[in-house]
Amino acid sequence: MLSDHQLVTRVAGENEDAFRTLYDRFADRVFRYAFTLLRDRHLAEEAAQETMIAVWKGAQRFEARSKVSTWIFGIARNKAFDLIRREKRGDRTPDVSLVSPDPAPGLLRQEVVAGAMSTLPEPQREVVFLTFYEGLSYGEIAGVLGIPEGTVKSRMFHAKRKLAEALT
Amino acid sequence: MSSCGRIRELIPWYANGTLSSAESGEVSVHLAACGACREELAGILRLRAEVERELRSLPRLPDGVWKRVAVEAYGRPIAHLDVGSFFLGFSLGASVRRGAVPIHGDLKVLGQKIRLFNVEQEERI
Repeated sequence: MLSDHQLVTRVAGENEDAFRTLYDRFADRVFRYAFTLLRDRHLAEEAAQETMIAVWKGAQRFEARSKVSTWIFGIARNKAFDLIRREKRGDRTPDVSLVSPDPAPGLLRQEVVAGAMSTLPEPQREVVFLTFYEGLSYGEIAGVLGIPEGTVKSRMFHAKRKLAEALT
Repeated sequence: MSSCGRIRELIPWYANGTLSSAESGEVSVHLAACGACREELAGILRLRAEVERELRSLPRLPDGVWKRVAVEAYGRPIAHLDVGSFFLGFSLGASVRRGAVPIHGDLKVLGQKIRLFNVEQEERI
């Protein structure tokens, strides 16, 4: 199996098969990251689409010393914020299409967790996502977000306190 | 022994296994002696599981997104010619993409495509 780096190198040479494989590895993860930032499924789909197109077009500019996932999440983050600016939505609410009108008991807890995540400020939410869902190190998160490592730790500190309060 | 404050700052990344070996060792030594920080770790592991479950419950990215990405990346195919076999072949394709008609040729060796050329012309069709 080709590594992420090998795939990007092939994508830079316009290898369509490599791009499809890279898409299969990352597009859904980018969608979930964009959803974490945007809390809107349709905008998150758009962000995932634009991110993967940017990956195809920008593969030649990828610097081999970076990790592919942090490069792609960095692009996704910019695309998500572009969409926010375009939409000019100041206060976003969770996408109602994701909330079941009559949830099964097992889903209630998930909705409580989703609600708790929604109450976090976006800078804290993305640190939680990148740590708990993507399993990035604090150094890698600092690279994606372009902030000092200490800021990543402090955002996590506040996020976990708020989540713990909301979930108890 | 390290302070509980420092250890608690590191615990989320201890839980996801990305700390350096030095930091990870420091946390392990502290946890062995500190019940409060072990409770903190248990809380973080529960929190991680719940966040993960919530994010996994999202529907998957629809297949239609790939089609839109492919059209944007490669263009909409308008002509395609394949010669040869799985072992050795050549393909020539043309597509329409944002007012341009890229024409590309690929050499295929054992099913792997190697791009030989990609020429983009202004759309005249």
